[in-house]
Amino acid sequence: MAWDPSESDALHGRALAFVRSFEADAAMPEPFDALAADLARFQAAHVPGYARLCEARGADPAHFRRAADAPAVPTEAFKISRVSTFPAALEQVTFLTSGTTLGARGAHAMRRPSTYDTAALAFGRWALTGGTPALPVPCPVLMLAPPPEELPDSSLTHMMHVFAGAFGAAPPGPADYFIRDGILELSALDARVARAMVARQSVLLLGTSFAFVHLLDAVADAGFRLPPGSRAMQTGGFKGRSREVDAAELRRDIAQALGVDPRAVVSEYGMTELSSQFYEATLRDASMKPGVYVEPPWARVVPVHPESREPVAEGDPGIARIEDLMNVDSAFAVLAADRVRRVPGGFELLGRWPGASPRGCSIAVDELVGAPSTVS
Amino acid sequence: MDTPDLPALARLRRLLDAAAEVARATDLVAPLSESTGLSPQGVALALSRCLETDATDADLAALVRNASPAPHVHVILSAGVFTAALRAIAVACATSSSVSVRPSRRDPVFARALVRAAIGVRVTLTEDAEVASIRDGEVHVYGRDETVEAVRGAARPGVRVRAHGAGIGVALVTGDADLEEAARGLADDVVVFDQRGCLSPRVVLIEGPQPRGEQLVALLHARLAELDDAVPRGRLEPEERSQASRYMETMAFAGRVVHGRGHIVGLAPTGSAILVPPPGRHVHVALVRDVEEASRRLHPIARRVVAVGCDSEEVGRAIGGGARVRLSRLGWMQRPPLDGPVDLR
Repeated sequence: MAWDPSESDALHGRALAFVRSFEADAAMPEPFDALAADLARFQAAHVPGYARLCEARGADPAHFRRAADAPAVPTEAFKISRVSTFPAALEQVTFLTSGTTLGARGAHAMRRPSTYDTAALAFGRWALTGGTPALPVPCPVLMLAPPPEELPDSSLTHMMHVFAGAFGAAPPGPADYFIRDGILELSALDARVARAMVARQSVLLLGTSFAFVHLLDAVADAGFRLPPGSRAMQTGGFKGRSREVDAAELRRDIAQALGVDPRAVVSEYGMTELSSQFYEATLRDASMKPGVYVEPPWARVVPVHPESREPVAEGDPGIARIEDLMNVDSAFAVLAADRVRRVPGGFELLGRWPGASPRGCSIAVDELVGAPSTVS
Repeated sequence: MDTPDLPALARLRRLLDAAAEVARATDLVAPLSESTGLSPQGVALALSRCLETDATDADLAALVRNASPAPHVHVILSAGVFTAALRAIAVACATSSSVSVRPSRRDPVFARALVRAAIGVRVTLTEDAEVASIRDGEVHVYGRDETVEAVRGAARPGVRVRAHGAGIGVALVTGDADLEEAARGLADDVVVFDQRGCLSPRVVLIEGPQPRGEQLVALLHARLAELDDAVPRGRLEPEERSQASRYMETMAFAGRVVHGRGHIVGLAPTGSAILVPPPGRHVHVALVRDVEEASRRLHPIARRVVAVGCDSEEVGRAIGGGARVRLSRLGWMQRPPLDGPVDLR
């Protein structure tokens, strides 16, 4: 079927209507399944690989009625092929995964990154600035991350930049990023926090887990107190960039070092292959436990059986099948490599699904995806 | 009965004779099938094709020559490639006249039978020995990287750990290779041990244009389908089945994939990253223009490659990237000479 931007634009519009309804605290504009089925049909029509996957799974896009009818695209597909409905010439931005230890990186191209921005901002605002008392915005947004010019293809860096632009008092600049060339600029961060302290401004501190570990190591027992009411968002793994720390221990240590309530240390779960993110709701709901992630109304995380891809029983662990209505031009349903479990209010992350761990001297799949060839 | 003064070559020959005797014991097939997960036909195939009982004197001499003497060797075996116990014990015997063996807990059948049959070779079973209790000599450990690291961590100072960890095999079908012959050879290399072990090719690069790649995929698929009947695939672990489904879905999306009752063959999109499928008769075929591109494409996984199959030794060496890679002709990847560890480490 010929590419017609108006078809994609209409789907973007329907997806964004979910976000607007959420922000207005209104009912969703249509059933999740209705848009999901239309997205999957659209993607099957314009992504040959997805059509082949549907065929291989015995799924006929013409008969999609529910989100669950659409096969999920494994994240590995993003590493070895283009997962996109539109011609490459229309790409506005392409985010790359951080890659395996051996270098292959998945690519997620976007034609309308504003859809990503709008959705990320809406749910980020809900999870990070909401609650009682709410974080007064605008506020200083400080990022334990390199600036976008150092990592122009990182969706996480982009998201932080969007947050800083929306929640900060001024457009984010180089002085708001405190990792340069891999080095934590502690004195500059200290100065910014001191200014906020004097101005009695709560801050929002955004960073990767490994950056927080570096911060904790740098400040050691001295601590690094943030102004009262401040909040921290941490995300991502360690991937050999710092010592690894248990999630609960890291939350406790961050809270202690920063002098904030542990419930104000919010974990985010996202991935390059998606356009939506998931957060702990500890700031929004006193009954929510740390480690439980919630979805926005436009995304679902469904634990599925590792072979059949059928949803597992409530509470059982399964592979994360992530349905994301904001992934209009790529893959509405993505099969992640993470193990998850549904719990009241959301889902828990249980770590990576074990790669095929063969007996003997063979090697696990997880370890082995080579980098893309540079050959044209 | 011990024979302390028996020369190393004689002990090795006696060990091989013991292995031949074990291989003839048909009552071992069922327990081996149970412990390894291979089908009975798979066990029989491994015993007939991969047990190095016909090693030449020159091979054994090389084995002894390549070994550095040690007062004692403790061998820690892995599961999966059950016949590997023979080579591991042979390497140990070439190294020391005092050898103890800890079979894999999951897959102890063959190793136990071999040691018990190897009378006069001075090899003992020490199934419960802790690495930390070994006071001198060497530990030869085979298996996953986690196992190797655990053994290294537990070894006392002064005890040398020789590790034979994880690895994979790759193959290159050169531009002038006969595709039918290549497919037959590859299928033979894939089917043995259901592709577990580091000698089996999981990635196959083929020189030439797309139609040539598609032809190889079709031929390999057909040959593997024949072998699905003759030597049925055995049991796959849940993780292996899960990864196989994932590989098939990924390749259905990204490239081309064909599958049979007991195998999957994927054809990668041109120029894409090399994806290594899980073991269990799953082959990832990728097109390359030339040997230079093959080397470049393999570079990200090169440190894990321990075996290269290729009809040209020169080309195989070029893509293998060093002397520490086991080079074999297609169809012979699972049958390297008994001149040292399979990974040459």
